[in-house]
Amino acid sequence: MKRRGISMTSILILVLIGMVLVIMSASIMLFLSTYREFLIENARTVGRQITSQVCDTVSNYVDEIESSMDMLKEELDAEDSDAFFDSFLKIRPDVVAVTTYDDQGTLLDCRTLDHKVRQEVYQNLSWDPSNLLSQKRQISTPHVVTLFEGEYPWVVTMTAPLEGKNRWIGLDISFSSISEYISGVGIGQHGYCFLMDETGNMIYHPQQQLIYSSLKTEDTEFIARQMDGSIVKENVIYTVQSLDNCRWRVVGVSFVDELIDDSIRDISEIMGVTAVLIALFAILIGFFISRALSRPVRELSGAMRQFEADADHFVYQPVGGAREIVALSDSFHHMVGRIQRLMEQVRSEEINLRKTELKALQAQINPHFLYNTLDSISWMCERGKNGDAVKMVNALARLFRISISRGHELIPIRSELMHAESYLEIQAYRYKNQFSYRFDVEESCMDYLCNKITLQPIIENAIYHGINGLVDEGEIVISLKEEGEDLLFLVEDNGAGMEPEMVQAILSKERSDHTGIGIKNVNDRLKIYFGTPYGITIDSAPDEGTRVYIRMPKVREAAQYEKI
Amino acid sequence: MKKFKRVLGLLLCGLLCLNGCADGGSKERPSVWLIAKSTQTEFWKASFAGANAAKAEYNLDLTIRGPETEEDFMAQNHYIEEAVQQGADAIVFSAISYAGNAKAVDYAASKGVKVVVIDSDVDAQAVSVRVGTDNIEAGRMAAQAVLDLEAPKLRIGIINYSVVSRNGEERETGLREVLEKDPRVEQIVTVNVLTSPEAARAQTEILLQKHPDLNVLLALNEPLAVGAAQAVDARNLENQVHLIGFDAHVQCVDYLQTGEVSALVVQNPYAMGYLGVEAAYKVLQGKTYSPDALINTSTTIVTKNNMFTTESQKVLFSFG
Repeated sequence: MKRRGISMTSILILVLIGMVLVIMSASIMLFLSTYREFLIENARTVGRQITSQVCDTVSNYVDEIESSMDMLKEELDAEDSDAFFDSFLKIRPDVVAVTTYDDQGTLLDCRTLDHKVRQEVYQNLSWDPSNLLSQKRQISTPHVVTLFEGEYPWVVTMTAPLEGKNRWIGLDISFSSISEYISGVGIGQHGYCFLMDETGNMIYHPQQQLIYSSLKTEDTEFIARQMDGSIVKENVIYTVQSLDNCRWRVVGVSFVDELIDDSIRDISEIMGVTAVLIALFAILIGFFISRALSRPVRELSGAMRQFEADADHFVYQPVGGAREIVALSDSFHHMVGRIQRLMEQVRSEEINLRKTELKALQAQINPHFLYNTLDSISWMCERGKNGDAVKMVNALARLFRISISRGHELIPIRSELMHAESYLEIQAYRYKNQFSYRFDVEESCMDYLCNKITLQPIIENAIYHGINGLVDEGEIVISLKEEGEDLLFLVEDNGAGMEPEMVQAILSKERSDHTGIGIKNVNDRLKIYFGTPYGITIDSAPDEGTRVYIRMPKVREAAQYEKI
Repeated sequence: MKKFKRVLGLLLCGLLCLNGCADGGSKERPSVWLIAKSTQTEFWKASFAGANAAKAEYNLDLTIRGPETEEDFMAQNHYIEEAVQQGADAIVFSAISYAGNAKAVDYAASKGVKVVVIDSDVDAQAVSVRVGTDNIEAGRMAAQAVLDLEAPKLRIGIINYSVVSRNGEERETGLREVLEKDPRVEQIVTVNVLTSPEAARAQTEILLQKHPDLNVLLALNEPLAVGAAQAVDARNLENQVHLIGFDAHVQCVDYLQTGEVSALVVQNPYAMGYLGVEAAYKVLQGKTYSPDALINTSTTIVTKNNMFTTESQKVLFSFG
């Protein structure tokens, strides 16, 4: 079976999947674009929350340090201040040193634990001369403590004037606590918080050393120019919040791409599963469509092809499926029935026509034969051969009577043999001494019926093409025998024989004179009456004579074949 | 119906694959080995800190190894072999010996291990990329620091470490290239000493005894700078001898304040460690560098005058 193009089912499945995919991707695009906005908004909210938490924590921490400082101010000149400071520094390990300065900024005292204070301080980074100008509490930017020997810890320094004493107190605070508050904070997967002051100096960053080693940068100058709130810049969301008790700002950093990527991964997972479900669904639908539409259509078209190939023996099996298909199938069924009936009708009409035609032929007598025979009889009368003339006239009369047979087509074989013999008798006079003939007939076959004028055309052929022109005397043998349910005639002559082309011509051509019955007519007639297995076969070769076999069934009743 | 079932089976397989993809990425982390010249000096500790930062950033397995002494290149070769045996994907390597470590590096490369050189180079073709100080330039910078001194005549003693080490050799090359052109320079002597403060101190004292008129000393790495500074301190020569050291050992910083050290050429070991491991990661990800590429880490000259500027603080003192 040749297949061209794609099947209806696949087209339907493809269209279905395509449509769903288009709709899905369109909705996903739409969804993503709105989702992105939503995510950014969400990230801003989360950033604000986290930043605000960090802000509170750091703010509390600064408050705590401040209150410690207030406490220290009071204890500074107390009697047992050394012991107090020792225990204070033990309790607060994030305070590296407590220093006091006079009104010129000269270092008066440095209290610390576990650090060896230098004899001579080359440059004290814990003291900023600008402190003197503001007369207020200050927090420095990160720097190292330069007061110790062999140690340079990073700190921020909180300095405040001691009221009414023209002195200053400074606390060097390490990043251990701040680090604890900030390093652990994450926003999203890679987001983080850092601490800067309002002019853009980095105070504390979870990756401070990377920044100090110039391996990482934060655009603190840009952020310093921004108000509190969240800023989206090149896929980075900065959430900025200022501390209320000092000039620090907490900055939360989160990454839009990361959020979007995550959600895209989630969505693509959902999409994948949905696509599989859709594919399953589509295949299911395809399965049903195939059942309802395309398979019946295929069956129907197969049936049509079959019908085309062999209309006679086609038996239609109706197909099920959709209503339209069933209607189609029913129509086809009707059509098949009608066509088959019409074909039957045409065929029987054709047969009848042919039979009529053949009958008309049978009724004709070859005028030459008649002239010649009458010539012969008149010649006999002239010569006074009255006996012979009588025989001839009788034979001719018999010939005509049997030919007519009261209009019957099928006549007893006995009569047909008589007809053949009458013809041979007449021809034997005409071809005097040129041939002899004999019959070799099984007596049991005599009472079966056969078509009239079956043997005569064959004998005529044997005489004209076999015996005529033969130098020696020819012989024509007509035999008949049973063969199972069939009868087999054989007309054999020892005449000139025929080329295969001649045999072919005899079997396929009408007589050239268009009168009387030829061998082809006989053959056609047998086939029309009894079917294709019956008819004439000719076995002949030049110089070897001709054998013509006539096969027909044993016919006992004329009625079953004669109806028209 | 048969076909239908088969298609269904395929789809289910596809679904499983999809799930498989979804929780993929839990594959084994790349294993990176950092083989240093030492594990003791502040220089290398800072470098390891940088390496660990990169390890965290890129989610790697990091193994750090270094020999007892900075002369023991054989131990380094053993570490390389060990790394190869343990299935390291990449080695970040600082060669003690330019020639002596070459075979081991080539061996590792032949086993498919990527090699990134930091700090000090090795004579091997297979190195993917080099990360560190441009040592010739660092030598020139040190020489410039010498020339910036106000002394009218310069008699210079160079305290260098192992002659086989590439970066020491390059630093001295840079130094001499600048110094030998200058008319103020009257004398340059080099001593090669073992890389330890003790050895450096002893050798410096011997050098100062032998050449009492030296007024400039150059110590070309951290332990040597510490030892030389100690020698200058011990002999109370801080007013006579100007010592220019390498790297930011805390003792040297102390001496910078008190004058035994005049200037320090400070490299960026944290960046070396970080960028070395990062480069190893990138190479494992398939990035290729040109064969003579050097990822240059910054070098800064710090003197007493600028030692406590914000920038110098960031360079000199590591942040926790």
